[in-house]
Amino acid sequence: MPHVLSLPLPWFVAGPLMGLSVVGMYAVTNKHLGISGSFVQFADAARGRPIESWRLWFLGGIMLSAALVAILAGYPQTGLRYGVLTHVLPLNAVIPFLFVGGILIGVGARWAGACTSGHGITGCSTRSIGSMTAVMTFMVTAVAATFVIRAISGGAL
Amino acid sequence: MKRLNLVSLFFGGLFGFAFSASGFNQYDVIHRMLLLQNFRPYLVMASAVLVAAPLLWYLERRQWVTPLGGVLELRRWKPERKHVLGGIVFGAGWAITGACPGTIPTALAAGCLLAAVPAIGMVAGVVLHDAVAERTTDRDPAMGSELWSEA
Repeated sequence: MPHVLSLPLPWFVAGPLMGLSVVGMYAVTNKHLGISGSFVQFADAARGRPIESWRLWFLGGIMLSAALVAILAGYPQTGLRYGVLTHVLPLNAVIPFLFVGGILIGVGARWAGACTSGHGITGCSTRSIGSMTAVMTFMVTAVAATFVIRAISGGAL
Repeated sequence: MKRLNLVSLFFGGLFGFAFSASGFNQYDVIHRMLLLQNFRPYLVMASAVLVAAPLLWYLERRQWVTPLGGVLELRRWKPERKHVLGGIVFGAGWAITGACPGTIPTALAAGCLLAAVPAIGMVAGVVLHDAVAERTTDRDPAMGSELWSEA
């Protein structure tokens, strides 16, 4: 597969495109762009609660693009690989590690009200002080926790 | 077919393109970002906000009428305890998985099968949070859900 698209896109192209997506959603639909809300739809469907279909369409758009980028860039992440993580840890350790991490993401995003997109990009763009509070907290926590992981793994991760 | 859904598909596509083409659907990119070895992701996020904030400010000032949702109303939240406590839990999960909620579906779509694990974990985490929250507060759970779904 020829590499039609070379990765990564320059930051000064990628960032503004994300910013314009945020503006576009607000300007056309009056909706606050955020991705963790899409995951809530699955939880709501499982609990028999009403869902917001636009959030699933938004998620569908994201995934279609991700598949397209993987094809155009000749970078499919096929197989049971997960970056450095699967080089360092065996699969039977990676899976519970990722599952626990996933639960923390779900609890935390739900608790804080949004995630890296809903608070990090959209909330900061609407000058929401609550969003900025959440962003500063999760950025500092994530960086600190990553250095803890690095220390525990003896520098392997 | 609702127009709202099609518009969401379009902007999801645009957002997802920039997101994936920045490598945000790869553990190694996010991990190096959090190790402060790769500053590009911070530049992407900052430039997104720098583009969106003034445009939203202008549209709000003009009392822009959105074609599908009435007069533009930008959502803002006052800082609360939950932003800090939720942020701490979220940050820990982000560090462990090298994935934010955007990374998970985009990694899956790029063929990373293991991203299904945090995906299931995340949905379970939402249900877990609500089960605890609905037990510990006397607030109507449906109302809590409604409040949250704004973001």
